Amino acid sequence: MYQMMLETTSKDFDLGNLLQDLPTQIEKLQEARKLVLTDAVLLGEVPSPTFNEEDRIRLTVDRFRENGMEDPEIDEQGNASAVLPGSEGRSSILVMAHADSVFNATTQHVLNVGPDSITGPGIADNAIGLATVVALPKLLKILGITLKDDLILLANTKSLGRGNLEGARYFLDTKQRPISAGICVEGASQGRLSYAGLGTLRGEIRLEVPSNYDWNRFGSSGAVGHLTRIINQLLEIPLPKEPKTKMVLGGLTCGTTYNKTPHSGCLRFEITSEADEVIAELQQKVNDLCEQCSLENGTTVKLEVVATRPNCGIPFTHPLVKATRSIMDEIGITPQVIPSTGDLNVLIEAGYAGVTLGLTHAENIGEENETIQLAPLQAGIAQLVTLLQAIDKGICES
Amino acid sequence: MTGDNQKWLEHNTFHHGEFWDILDLVKEKEKKDLKISLCIPTLNEEKTIGKEVLILRSELMERYPLIDEFAVIDSGSNDKTLEVAESYGADTYLASEILPEVGDKRGKGENLWKAIHQLKGDIICYVDADISNIHPRFVYGLVAPLIKQAEVQYVKAFYDRPLNYSSGLRSSGGGRVTEILIRPLFSLFYPELTNIIQPLSGEYAARREVLEMIPFPIGYGVETSHLLDLYEKFGLNAFAQTDLDRRVHRNQTTNALGKMSFGILQTFINRLHSQGKIDRVPDVETFYRRFEVEDGSYNQLVQEVVEEERPPMIEIDGYRKRTGNS
Repeated sequence: MYQMMLETTSKDFDLGNLLQDLPTQIEKLQEARKLVLTDAVLLGEVPSPTFNEEDRIRLTVDRFRENGMEDPEIDEQGNASAVLPGSEGRSSILVMAHADSVFNATTQHVLNVGPDSITGPGIADNAIGLATVVALPKLLKILGITLKDDLILLANTKSLGRGNLEGARYFLDTKQRPISAGICVEGASQGRLSYAGLGTLRGEIRLEVPSNYDWNRFGSSGAVGHLTRIINQLLEIPLPKEPKTKMVLGGLTCGTTYNKTPHSGCLRFEITSEADEVIAELQQKVNDLCEQCSLENGTTVKLEVVATRPNCGIPFTHPLVKATRSIMDEIGITPQVIPSTGDLNVLIEAGYAGVTLGLTHAENIGEENETIQLAPLQAGIAQLVTLLQAIDKGICES
Repeated sequence: MTGDNQKWLEHNTFHHGEFWDILDLVKEKEKKDLKISLCIPTLNEEKTIGKEVLILRSELMERYPLIDEFAVIDSGSNDKTLEVAESYGADTYLASEILPEVGDKRGKGENLWKAIHQLKGDIICYVDADISNIHPRFVYGLVAPLIKQAEVQYVKAFYDRPLNYSSGLRSSGGGRVTEILIRPLFSLFYPELTNIIQPLSGEYAARREVLEMIPFPIGYGVETSHLLDLYEKFGLNAFAQTDLDRRVHRNQTTNALGKMSFGILQTFINRLHSQGKIDRVPDVETFYRRFEVEDGSYNQLVQEVVEEERPPMIEIDGYRKRTGNS
């Protein structure tokens, strides 16, 4: 007991020392952030849609090499990783950012750099996050920080949408080194604090009107009509308030013109819930609804589950979360607790303590005029670096 | 195509990918004791200048010290061009404050000319300020042939892979003025210069000793006059060109290109005369006239375009004093 109290006091002392350095770090990062901005533009202007991240990954690996990382490599899933050896190397800290983007290759990937902001497709999600991870070795050098643990940097692929976090999952399944903790880096929004992964199901309802469809039968309709009915029925499914549950109808593709009745369509949706059994129950309901629509209307309606994540997390009182909150508090960042549906889920599912942080403020995320603010960036990077130091000093061990 | 032209194309036409190893370029530059200056001429470019300064400084001065000096030379912008450029770390100058004893003229060529005095490099690289997809290749692709080949004096950029590399021959990707005005004129009077794929591209690099010996039109004719003057002095082998892939920039209206062509023609006709290709130049107008229709009536619009020229920099006292050639 006495030993435990002594350790707690010593950790508090160590964290206090790190927090004291924050103002100096933020000041030094004012100039050093240009490194990050440059890489954000160069990486961000290389299209990197999910499943086609090769070009951005190749540039990432070049950067790892140029920044003095050891063993830069691309694995079978296309993830780029490299290691910055620590002075002792007893364990490793993983810092990761997803390299894929929601924008396809035909989008004009041109980023505009203004005095206070950068605008363009994918800059917030996640070019600036990836650039920060890539620049970490240089930033640590500029800040005069040497870690005891090895630092593993990962640019993971196939994170978004149908990618279903496959890149990160593969990396963690096949990793060769022990990991003490992980940090997922997202461009937005500063203050984001995720320490739990939210149970998620993403699905597509695909509807086909067969070529021999009887247009004279009662209730006959084209794909638009049938999908509209399905949407109305989905919206009528009662969702529990506790455990918190949400359904988002995120996308609808159907028809190409004004005067032709479409024969097929696709509805994309996401269910998130704090309870895995609620998700399973809702999945069953959606499935039933599809079957009912198929049989009653003579159409083919199929539910395809494209991504799932179980609920997972570390406690709010975990030292990693407490240290993150202290760092944010010292900088003046108000934490916004948001359960993750991204890379963090894989990290925690694999049994590691981890958090997701956001670097700066952003607007229009997912639009071609996605914009990040530059002024908060150095504080956002400082929180990441200080948390890295805290993990390295053993402050975040439970 | 004659054998010589083909040989020139093979030996003097590059792709920026050949120079990907910037560290190797830095080593060779240092071994040859060369200094390189980069100049961006500006006039109201607040939307794109920040990105150019950020990328080129970070990559080619801080990460790889290929560029020794980086200046933005401005014609008197009334937007935040200079403020933005400074915020990203560029040295900024007003063209009017460089060599004030020779006065101030307004035009991109004036900025390029004054850069020869202001900058100290043995090689000067010029990059336009309106490139949306700026990348370090826009500089290293141009200075590399000058670092590697002593006989090359002047390197022009071209874009969009117009040549046959792997997927079949495509037509040249020159702009409208190049294809409609310059290429026909070169074909008539300077057929060898048609090997320069994009003679009007705003990105080029050259050795100081050739830049200081040629006059600079201050307006639209500066790129054309460089080619004609250096070709007359050194022949085609002084030139090289580098494919810089895609360049995203503002598209100009046909009217603006008409005015530009009017200026270029003045320079071209002057060169035809001074280089003995025609006996005399008749009196020509300096007013560019075009029409617009409004509510069924035709209005003539008249704009004066005078292609003034600065003399070779080597003839300027202030410059000779600075370089110790007085």
